[in-house]
Amino acid sequence: MPDFFDAYFAQQIINGLSLGLVYALVAIGFTLIFGILNVVNFAHGEIYTVGAFAGLLLIVGAAPPLLAVVLFAMAVGAAAGVGLERLAFRPIRRFSDEASLKSRAMREATLLSSLAVSIVTRELMVHFFSGEMQVIPQAALLQEVIAVGPLTLTNGNLFIFGASVVMLGGLQFMLYRTRVGLSIRAVSNNVLGARHVGIDTNRTIVATFAIGSALGAAAGILVGLYNGNIFPYMGFAPGVKAFVAMVMGGLSSIPGAVISALLLGVSESVATDFISAGWKDMIAYGLLVVTLIFFPQGLFGHGRERV
Amino acid sequence: MRPEFKRLKTLALAAAALACGYAAPARAADPLLIGYQMPLSGDYSQYGEMFRNAAELQLKAFNAAGGVDGTPVQILYEDSKNDPKEGVNIARKFADNPRILAALGDFSSTVSMAAGEVYAKVGMAQLSQTASHPEFTKVSKYQFRNITTQAYEGPFTAKWIRQTGPKSVAIVSIQNDWGISAAEEFAKAFKAEGGSVTGIEYFNPGNRDFRSILTKVARAKPDAIYLCMFYEEAASALQQAKQLNVKAPVFSTSSLYSPKLIELGGDAVNGVRMASTFVPENPAPEVQGFVSNFKSAYGNAPNMFAAQAYDAVGIMLAALKAAGPKATREQVRDALAATTGYPGVTGKTSFDPQTREPAKTLAKMVVENGQFKVIE
Repeated sequence: MPDFFDAYFAQQIINGLSLGLVYALVAIGFTLIFGILNVVNFAHGEIYTVGAFAGLLLIVGAAPPLLAVVLFAMAVGAAAGVGLERLAFRPIRRFSDEASLKSRAMREATLLSSLAVSIVTRELMVHFFSGEMQVIPQAALLQEVIAVGPLTLTNGNLFIFGASVVMLGGLQFMLYRTRVGLSIRAVSNNVLGARHVGIDTNRTIVATFAIGSALGAAAGILVGLYNGNIFPYMGFAPGVKAFVAMVMGGLSSIPGAVISALLLGVSESVATDFISAGWKDMIAYGLLVVTLIFFPQGLFGHGRERV
Repeated sequence: MRPEFKRLKTLALAAAALACGYAAPARAADPLLIGYQMPLSGDYSQYGEMFRNAAELQLKAFNAAGGVDGTPVQILYEDSKNDPKEGVNIARKFADNPRILAALGDFSSTVSMAAGEVYAKVGMAQLSQTASHPEFTKVSKYQFRNITTQAYEGPFTAKWIRQTGPKSVAIVSIQNDWGISAAEEFAKAFKAEGGSVTGIEYFNPGNRDFRSILTKVARAKPDAIYLCMFYEEAASALQQAKQLNVKAPVFSTSSLYSPKLIELGGDAVNGVRMASTFVPENPAPEVQGFVSNFKSAYGNAPNMFAAQAYDAVGIMLAALKAAGPKATREQVRDALAATTGYPGVTGKTSFDPQTREPAKTLAKMVVENGQFKVIE
């Protein structure tokens, strides 16, 4: 069908790339905490939501420029990340003997504690803000149309693209060129070993949470303004897709997660043209299953023991 | 024995009797009980909160006016989280309490039908304010609803669209029991009116990015678009349609009718047309009284959902009153089935004695300059 590859198809690719960038934005912070640090964190979706609400409150209160909103959301996200670490992760890390550090049960316990924090946070937001979508001032939305021939982009696409590039580049720089990055990689590799060479593991973990959560919060406010909806349950769906992207990308590779996220977004979007959109989640999970069968280490991962 | 002890002993006995599930003959002060299940937490909690607010308003007025021959009525609320499993558990809990005479709710057709199986088995009337799936009232003779179904609304809007000109229509619908039936009923009626349907696009509940669906819709170039979803999803879908420059006129199910649609969607929702039973601008005194009472009690204007719940509770209370203070569950059901011309805020409501479907009148509405306007 030659007439199929027309402007609508090109628009569908653009839709897919923007959807993929949304997943990528969430996946970057998620992969830093979950993949690199090797702790199971199911509260990242709520950090994303908290970031969106913090940004919205600032917009409604003071209507500052977008950069200030994003920085504020990141600050709140970083604080929330540190709080999350205190509440859900540190108590479970209180034994530092080798057996406990290597125990799967100890690591998996954070699955439940972070899930608990996630549920409590979400329901508290429902309690204080109601489950409804929040009203966003129309001027603050990132939906300004930029027409390119028959195709439509929005300024939100550009901001999300820019943010993804900056975050990805910044994180790669931090991880491989700075001492903080070095200590994060050391802790991720071997907690005991890192401690033996004098790295303050607690501080490193807190720093990772702060950075990862700040990125998650920035994603929340940007995507909220781009899609035009901010509500307490907004973190769930992108969180799941970011998780899929992270696993497909090989768990510990941030560029891998970003590429997988783009792949997911484009496949979902283009598939809508052929099958009902109601089935599009099946595409994501189908890709995940296929990846796990044929590339058990993920598309960009290298072998390492995992929970 | 000192009098205090005597009283204590009576109390202890009463407590023991209650604990054993033994229902003591109701004294005049014992309120009559009805159960109300609704989502009070989770993704649809805002609807549940609205139902509870509306119900409290109706109940307070009813009890203040003397209740059922002097006996007050009390509503027990339970949170179903819009989850069919929870809905069934609540239905069992209500059914096991011999003092509960009838049940209201749930919110979605899916949960209402799941709970309905329990109510059907124990023989307890269930009146939902919103379950509009055609199969709901077919569960058993105990199911009632205070909302016109999509089998009633779909053909009404299909005819309306054909009258305004469009020959082909694309349908975008939420993928749940309600959405599927809404889309199918409409498609059937639109084809019967001589129109064509370019496609039905279902999306998963929780989805808020409609861009790929809208691009697919735009490719088919329909004369009009019909939305079967709730106002929150619709606000996002319409904003994204505007952004993608999709220009076809939009019609929708009555579920879009809420002031929130305009608050959330801004300019993008102008021009959307829908049918609705509840119009707050209606000058009828009961409607104006409800709107002003609701506003002063809760600070915001009631929408169609609040109005449906308000009337559902009103119909239930009227049935309790007709059945009298000593009524059984079966008598309450029969009184409910006999409802004719209940003067509510969503129009005069009568139940068909055979199908138990409500008959109501629908108004045509359009969003114009950020306001709902009644057409004609």
